[in-house]
Amino acid sequence: MIKTSSLTKIFQDKKRGKIIAVNDVSIECRPGRIFGLLGLNGAGKTTLMRLLSTSLKPTSGTAEVNGNDILIQPEQVKANIGFLSGDTGLYPRLTAEEIVRYFARLNGMEEQKIDERIKEIFDRFDMNGFKDRKIDKLSQGMKQKVSIARTIVQDPDVLILDEPTLGLDVITSRNIIEFIKDSKQKGKCVMFSTHIMHEAEKLCDDIAIIHQGEILDVATLEEYRKKTNLTDLDNIFVKIIGE
Amino acid sequence: MNLRKVKTIYLKEMLDTLRDRRTLVSMILVPILLFPIIMFGMSGLIASLIKKAEERPAQITILGEENAPHLTSQVFQNGKFTVVEEKDYENAIREKRIEAALVFSEDFEQRINSEDSAQAFIYYDKAEIKSEIAAEKLADLLWEYSDSVITSRLQKREIDRSLLHPVNIQRENVASKEKMGGFMLSMFLPYMIIILSLTGAMYPAIDLTAGEKERGTMETILVSPVSRGELATGKFFCVMTASVVTAVLATISMSISAGAGFAQMSSFTGEGAQFSIKITSILVILVLFLPISALFSSLLLSLSLFAKSYKEAQSYITPLMIVVIMPAMISFMPGVELNWGLAFVPIINVSLALKEVLLGTYNWEFIGLIFVSTILYASFSIFVTRKLFEKEHVLFRT
Repeated sequence: MIKTSSLTKIFQDKKRGKIIAVNDVSIECRPGRIFGLLGLNGAGKTTLMRLLSTSLKPTSGTAEVNGNDILIQPEQVKANIGFLSGDTGLYPRLTAEEIVRYFARLNGMEEQKIDERIKEIFDRFDMNGFKDRKIDKLSQGMKQKVSIARTIVQDPDVLILDEPTLGLDVITSRNIIEFIKDSKQKGKCVMFSTHIMHEAEKLCDDIAIIHQGEILDVATLEEYRKKTNLTDLDNIFVKIIGE
Repeated sequence: MNLRKVKTIYLKEMLDTLRDRRTLVSMILVPILLFPIIMFGMSGLIASLIKKAEERPAQITILGEENAPHLTSQVFQNGKFTVVEEKDYENAIREKRIEAALVFSEDFEQRINSEDSAQAFIYYDKAEIKSEIAAEKLADLLWEYSDSVITSRLQKREIDRSLLHPVNIQRENVASKEKMGGFMLSMFLPYMIIILSLTGAMYPAIDLTAGEKERGTMETILVSPVSRGELATGKFFCVMTASVVTAVLATISMSISAGAGFAQMSSFTGEGAQFSIKITSILVILVLFLPISALFSSLLLSLSLFAKSYKEAQSYITPLMIVVIMPAMISFMPGVELNWGLAFVPIINVSLALKEVLLGTYNWEFIGLIFVSTILYASFSIFVTRKLFEKEHVLFRT
């Protein structure tokens, strides 16, 4: 599970000065649930997720992923996370299998275990037809499958997915949605950011609305509906951010 | 630091690098082909052009041929000249209608006959190789003529020619063929080793940093359970491997081309030069070369890690190339020798030390000092690279 306490990230920008990208965020994301992070572009979703994946260091506050502190045990945190975003690209000159094997090795898995896991994942996502093909020869959908395989190769308990469907076609997006649902079924803790309301409506158990770095509210869709007397998440979102 | 992870990163980066065409060209093709092309292509071309110009009859004009009928007839018979008429000979040479002009003074033959000194002028354009060759041929002919006049004058007085040469000077080159070879290589090789170890590392360094940012793979690796130190180390060794491979291939290719080139040269000039290198020299070259390769690899990694894109990285690296080329060229300068001050100046020290080693001089104090100082510079540079991998604003500078 993920638990943040007063997590804050401030950037210094030469032109714009001090930017508070994530402001005093304390949230909890539990196993077997999908936690949606809903916000406009630039609201701080990506920064928050990067803090959790330890690729950025917080200015103050901290977070725990499966009981490991992001500041004290970053390696263990990363080993417990499967992180996928539009920015996590793949090496174009490597084959699908080479990439998945590489990340499995970096996770410290034994070769025999890696072979088994690769077979399992490649069977499940129907990837055997292109496992020896280089990434730059793959279609967008195939690449996305490789990315998912890369994300889950070490079977992490926590999945952090930053706008994973951004810019994808309908079929590829659907693969991702299915993967998220499936992960929930398996008892994973899934944190998922989006600015597409119907995706959040369909998938999320808990929805956090983030605006200008601050979490304005965390609730289930039903709770939001009661609070605001509105049905559509679009309207609820707009009302809460007060625009 | 987990060495297994470093090894995994290193092997993956090597595989990735070896599949990159740009890197393959700069790391393998360029160092192998560069020297044979320079050695045989360029020098062969120049040699054949000069030979052609020498064999072809030179287009000249003669003024005042009636003043030196005897000598003029020799010019015609010689076969090396085509004589044309050209009154305004200076302009004709400048406009390349003729290559040279031979002008006799009015009293030329008269002075020769009266055993006096006669005047002949050769006009030519020193900036034109053809013209210079023509002038050279004319001068040779005049020398021969002059010599024959001396002989006949001496014979008339029954004087032996040796009277004119009280001292017979003969110069003998005692340098062995190996030393001659070493001398020539000692100018080129240090420069080439230094430059190629830089260029060989250049593309992998850019590809593994700015290239990764551009392709979005940097974030993928940052969210994997590897420390920044492991990542920096794996990448550093990959870049350094490329640098070492390039320089080693270049050295081998250059040695073979030089060996063959010297053999070809000997057959031309009779002056022997042979290339052979002692095992001690190879070891010392390696010892001095490895730290400088490490220095370049970390410098290139730092610069290109900071860049947002491939293009930006290239624009940062171009000034570095110039900064390296200038001091590396010191091996070409005659008379510059290692001293305690220069032994601390990076690149210059290695260039001069490699030059000395190739000439067979092993100044162990300097070699040790240069080795240690270069390791210190490289360590500092590696430390900076390692720190840069920790910096968010560098890694996420997109």
